Amino acid sequence: MSTTWLPCSVYHQNYAQDHGWWQTRFIKGKMIALFIILFFVIPHFADEYWLSVFNQVGYTVLGALGVQLLIGYCGQITLGHAAFIAVGAYTSTLLILEFPWPKFMMDWGLAYPSSIIIAAIVAGIWSVLFGLPSARVKGFYLILTTMAAQFITVDFLITGYVSQIGGRGQAFSLPPGTIRVGPWVIDDDRKVYFMMIILVIICITCLVNLLRSRVGRAWVAIRDNDISAEVMGINIVKYKLFAFFVAGFIGGIAGSFWISNLAAISPEHFPWFWSLWLVGVILIGGVGSIHGTIFGSIFMVVVMEVLQLIVMQFVDTSWGERLFMDFLFLKEAAFGLAICVFMIFEPNGLAYRWWQTKNYFNLWPFSY
Amino acid sequence: MKLKKLWSKILIFSFTMALIMGFSPMAGAAMVKVGALNDVTGATSDVGKDYALGISDAIHYVNDTGGINGKKIKLYQFDYGYRIPEALTKYKLYKRLKCVAVLGWGTGDTEALSPTVTKDKMPYVSASYSAHLTNPAKTPYNLFAAVDYSTNARAAITAWFDKKWPKHPDYGKRKPRFVSSYHFAHPYCSAPIKAIKDQAKLLGFEVGPDQSVTLFAIDTKSQVLAMKDFKPDLVWHGNTTMSVAATVRDAYALGLGADHIVNNWGFDENLPRLAGKAAEGVMGAAVSAFFGNDVPMMDKVKEYAKKYNPGVPLEKRLIRTVQAWANVLALAEAMKRADKAGDLSGESILKNGFETMENFDVGLGVPPLNYTGTDHRISGKVPIYEVKDGKFQVVEVVDLKGRWPDKWAKEWLGW
Repeated sequence: MSTTWLPCSVYHQNYAQDHGWWQTRFIKGKMIALFIILFFVIPHFADEYWLSVFNQVGYTVLGALGVQLLIGYCGQITLGHAAFIAVGAYTSTLLILEFPWPKFMMDWGLAYPSSIIIAAIVAGIWSVLFGLPSARVKGFYLILTTMAAQFITVDFLITGYVSQIGGRGQAFSLPPGTIRVGPWVIDDDRKVYFMMIILVIICITCLVNLLRSRVGRAWVAIRDNDISAEVMGINIVKYKLFAFFVAGFIGGIAGSFWISNLAAISPEHFPWFWSLWLVGVILIGGVGSIHGTIFGSIFMVVVMEVLQLIVMQFVDTSWGERLFMDFLFLKEAAFGLAICVFMIFEPNGLAYRWWQTKNYFNLWPFSY
Repeated sequence: MKLKKLWSKILIFSFTMALIMGFSPMAGAAMVKVGALNDVTGATSDVGKDYALGISDAIHYVNDTGGINGKKIKLYQFDYGYRIPEALTKYKLYKRLKCVAVLGWGTGDTEALSPTVTKDKMPYVSASYSAHLTNPAKTPYNLFAAVDYSTNARAAITAWFDKKWPKHPDYGKRKPRFVSSYHFAHPYCSAPIKAIKDQAKLLGFEVGPDQSVTLFAIDTKSQVLAMKDFKPDLVWHGNTTMSVAATVRDAYALGLGADHIVNNWGFDENLPRLAGKAAEGVMGAAVSAFFGNDVPMMDKVKEYAKKYNPGVPLEKRLIRTVQAWANVLALAEAMKRADKAGDLSGESILKNGFETMENFDVGLGVPPLNYTGTDHRISGKVPIYEVKDGKFQVVEVVDLKGRWPDKWAKEWLGW
């Protein structure tokens, strides 16, 4: 699904056009409409509940982007991404609560934004440490080494040691007003939403650009055949580790973002299941597609919420009450079932359907 | 092909309807909406299932006996699988549905939501009895009809010190040795650790290194062997029943030779069933009577359990049902008082409801409830039980408030 056909009568005449982000007026219009929806329509019409749902979507997108990069673009299977998100979240929290920031940084609300960058770098480096075995092992063996990231980072280091810093016990409390970006105190879902949208846009833009560069092409070459890539002169260890760094970096941003939505943080926010969930997101959305990451996140969060609202309509019936209560149980089952169904009937994920739909309209009425 | 199209249309229609309904907050006449967050599939589901059944039974009871001054309670009960992001979203959903109060669950999500419920003025009656939630200066809208974990822990170690240590052959020759076994990563498990260690020091214990045992543990031999190096006389278990039973069993098998005290979520009817002989002599804090005990209101608990959840035999129901009833009855009483005062808002439920309760008796073996504007700990007297022949017997009612009045009043609030 690499080629998106251009509409009839649209021809590129130079490389700049060929590599343009928005190649037709229609796409420009579509992106402006999307911008208006994201920045004006949703914040204006969505209530607190829906905003919190969208914030969860954003958190899932940020978390899954790194997984998509590693699995979908570089072919390095990971099952320990929650650990890097946790590193980001804890680094950011500790920096906000413990670091002696200069007064002007606090006054100007720069502590939290700075902590996001530092947390992302720390998570990136931490990710590289667990990516080192990728130089020697791949496949199932690599999965096991990435799983070790979860147990070593969250269950051992964060739970046993990091959580004890400052004698707080296990939960780091983030009192209202702690999270500030410039003059804005991030203390409600709407503000969290705006921050999420901005972070998601920045991360996607940077990652897409990186994927279009020499680095991205090297990653894809390694994914497709690492031996051939090496023969072609690509330093596969360097690029694999760089993929781990970027994935961890984005994971760190995800973690730092997530603390703005919380009043307290504890290790149980980052269970191993979350890593598995993120892999499920990209499988359903489409492996090797940034669109897929977004579609997968929307599917896993919004669709489940909508199903829940349907169930809620039947809460007054005797069977509905039970169903309502058991919804999460059904949700777990639905998660597994959705992966099976997608693997069998739509192995390229939702992104493939999106690609087909786009091409259908681009080529209409001569789509044959 | 036609069938496929029809299905697509039905699916799209349902999806659209759900979205439309989802965006429009529901309204109901003469109805009080209450949300409930429960865990029937997650890390604490071994105790959460029974608690969830108890919530639904108790709400049926309140509705059958006149509701909130004639208004029925409409309960929105969700299982969130002990996932905090899920709990945050569900809480927002309850707000949107205009629930006047929420019956919450775990320590992690209750503490994570605490500033939010304070801002929203939403009474949050949780099954998390963390002492952090008892100081109204910090968490005014967090409430529960039970003795908090820290008070339980202090009382349990004190009861052992009073009743068991004097009978030990080394009594008077050395300090008693104490270790804690709990899941470090879980706020519920770690909540009372600081308090119990403080109490251990106060009583003159030698405190050994903590052992991390997960809530899912079925084999804890390595932790028990690590404890054995310290030769403890007493072990505090801060987990839920399943893993406490595993630890107690392994301690018995490996001859640890220590006594055991357990926090309330690890101390229920399943403990003797799961741990068998190893559970004999285990002591623990129970925040209400056990299911089926001869105490006021228990007949109703049994009647409603039979009526609304006949699929679960009465002999399988647990103290968790009783704890859920206690929370629901306390909330219902607070709502009735607020309603009588003419204002059923969250703030009124707190001020005209909970904080007007003085020695309010819900029965069920729960100490009389007292909430004030400065202290949300319901009582300073804690009954400590012991397993004897598979049954629970009271060893001592520890009066912490009476024994250490200054510390109770000034030092111990809120941690």
